[in-house]
Amino acid sequence: MTVTVLPPGAGEVAAGTTRAALRRNFWRGVWRVLCRKPSRMAGVVIVVGFAVMGVVGPLLYPANLPRDDNALYAAPSLQHPFGTDFEGTDVLALVVTGARYVLLTGLATAVITVALGTAIGLFAGFRRGGWDTALMRLTDLNLAIPGLPLLLVLSTVWKFTSPLSMGLVLGLLGWGGVARAVRSQTLSLRERGFIEAARGLGLPTTHIIGRELLPSMAPYIAMNMLIAVTGAVYAQVGLFFLGVLPFDANNWGVMLNLAVFSGGALTTPAALPYLLAPLIAILLLTLGIVLIVDAMDEIFNPRLREE
Amino acid sequence: MTRAVRERPQGAAIARRVAGHIGRGLVMIWVVATISFFIIREIPGDPVQGMYETLLQKGMSPDQAERATAVLYGFLPTGSLWHQYVDYMWSLLHLDLGQSLSTPGVKVTSLIGSAAQWTVLPVLAGTLLSFLLGVTMGVYAAIKRSGKLGDLLALSGSLLHGVPVYVIGLLLTAIFTTLWPILPAGGPVDVAYVPGFNAGYIGSLVYHAVLPVATYTLASYGGWILAMKSNVVAVLGDDFILAAELRGLRRGFVFRYLARNAILPLFTILALSIGMLFGGSIFIEEIFNYPGLGLLLVNSISTRDYALMGGAFLVITVGIVVANIVADLLYTAIDPRVRSGETA
Repeated sequence: MTVTVLPPGAGEVAAGTTRAALRRNFWRGVWRVLCRKPSRMAGVVIVVGFAVMGVVGPLLYPANLPRDDNALYAAPSLQHPFGTDFEGTDVLALVVTGARYVLLTGLATAVITVALGTAIGLFAGFRRGGWDTALMRLTDLNLAIPGLPLLLVLSTVWKFTSPLSMGLVLGLLGWGGVARAVRSQTLSLRERGFIEAARGLGLPTTHIIGRELLPSMAPYIAMNMLIAVTGAVYAQVGLFFLGVLPFDANNWGVMLNLAVFSGGALTTPAALPYLLAPLIAILLLTLGIVLIVDAMDEIFNPRLREE
Repeated sequence: MTRAVRERPQGAAIARRVAGHIGRGLVMIWVVATISFFIIREIPGDPVQGMYETLLQKGMSPDQAERATAVLYGFLPTGSLWHQYVDYMWSLLHLDLGQSLSTPGVKVTSLIGSAAQWTVLPVLAGTLLSFLLGVTMGVYAAIKRSGKLGDLLALSGSLLHGVPVYVIGLLLTAIFTTLWPILPAGGPVDVAYVPGFNAGYIGSLVYHAVLPVATYTLASYGGWILAMKSNVVAVLGDDFILAAELRGLRRGFVFRYLARNAILPLFTILALSIGMLFGGSIFIEEIFNYPGLGLLLVNSISTRDYALMGGAFLVITVGIVVANIVADLLYTAIDPRVRSGETA
């Protein structure tokens, strides 16, 4: 049991065979944490389900979703589990095909946020001194800048509707939190025995950072990556919901906008399923991510664990 | 004697902190103002230049046209980039944000002034309510963390923390105005009442504020409960709690020690939370048709009222900067370690 408490980096100093054993034990520990609370298993299932939806979802439906003029705002039925929208298109199909855009943006944002934040945090924490001060000032500014209002204002000059450019903007606005967390982790880790030993052995800086520091922080970084996905969903779906970006492709934000501002979903109960479907999708995705982060927290933070 | 010696460095430390905050806040405001300047300048079709040329075509002299445009945008249509920039900043220093295009003849500052109250009051109410609720529930979640209730509380916190504020707002609207219509769908107040200090008007204000404030509260409740839970769990392991238990103090005392020490770090999150709510006000006001700064910003973008857009953006930033300073002052006032400058 104690084996799982060790950060993966600690396995690096062990000999090759014990390392393999540690890894096996680690995965066994993960499995045990997942099994103890079935809700965590549900989290994994939900997130994997959304990932599959994003990859194969659009392939299940024709490029132009069929419309049915006779069934505008049809009530939920077997044929249309969430009813139809204002043109008679199946709402479930809209949610499924819209997932790819939302998830791609989330992925791009998470990668950029975490890459930038980790690089800046590591550099500042490891170098210290003038670079640290300057980078932390920049981080403070990044954290304090009102992100959503800035995105709205930016949308007047730049139509960042492709998932990648949207991810780039969101990542550039959101790295501050990760940078600060990684820096404080670096500051505390670099005083620890195993880093001092590595430095005493005269190992190169790239080795210390890449093989000793980063693996110890990997869980935090992974958790931050998942949290960044929820932040990205918030911002991108929100921008489309407000209608400040052109509706190039179908996604959940466009659905929300059409449902509320042209469908009158808030005043006519008939249009309610059209509004609720994307809301439920966002809720489920957030729930899945939250459950996984919760499980990771317990795997890597022994203080939270109590038998 | 010793008292005077001890107090002076305290005062100096506080003054230094406040000065540092104001300095950083001013830098922040300057950065945001510069961003607005360049964005308004880079907008496709250059609205400032367009306005200038329209006025010229209407038969105005170049001088007159330039002055009229400058009044509207707080922005010179001609001259070098540097010249325009300095002029823009100069009028900002005089609190001149130009005039609104969508409501002609009205100054941006007066539009913002009347909108600010509809954002600031609900944000403050939501912050206060979510703080009280989140802190109480956080203590429970920490004490009962091995039970079902604790799990459920922590999960509700994580979920609400992660869910976008418009999802909360739209769900509340769907439930309480469409499915079970007991609350008003939107607007700040019933127009039937005469504004003033009469029961009808104030009652209507409160009635209309229930859903927006509930949304603000739920949106930041998650952050508080999570932070409070992890703080209490951390403090529970501290020696002084063990010492208090060994001394046989009553549970009430131990609880008070616990809560006091766990609440302190929360004040550093206060600023972040208020900043997040200011951002969330954009969605909440759009959903509930609440005439605050967020709605002003969204409307200014859809009506291409760029002077108003720059102004609203700037004022939201100023609001966040001020919240930052107040949160830090509160923290300084409460934590003796910060006051004496022990921790930076």
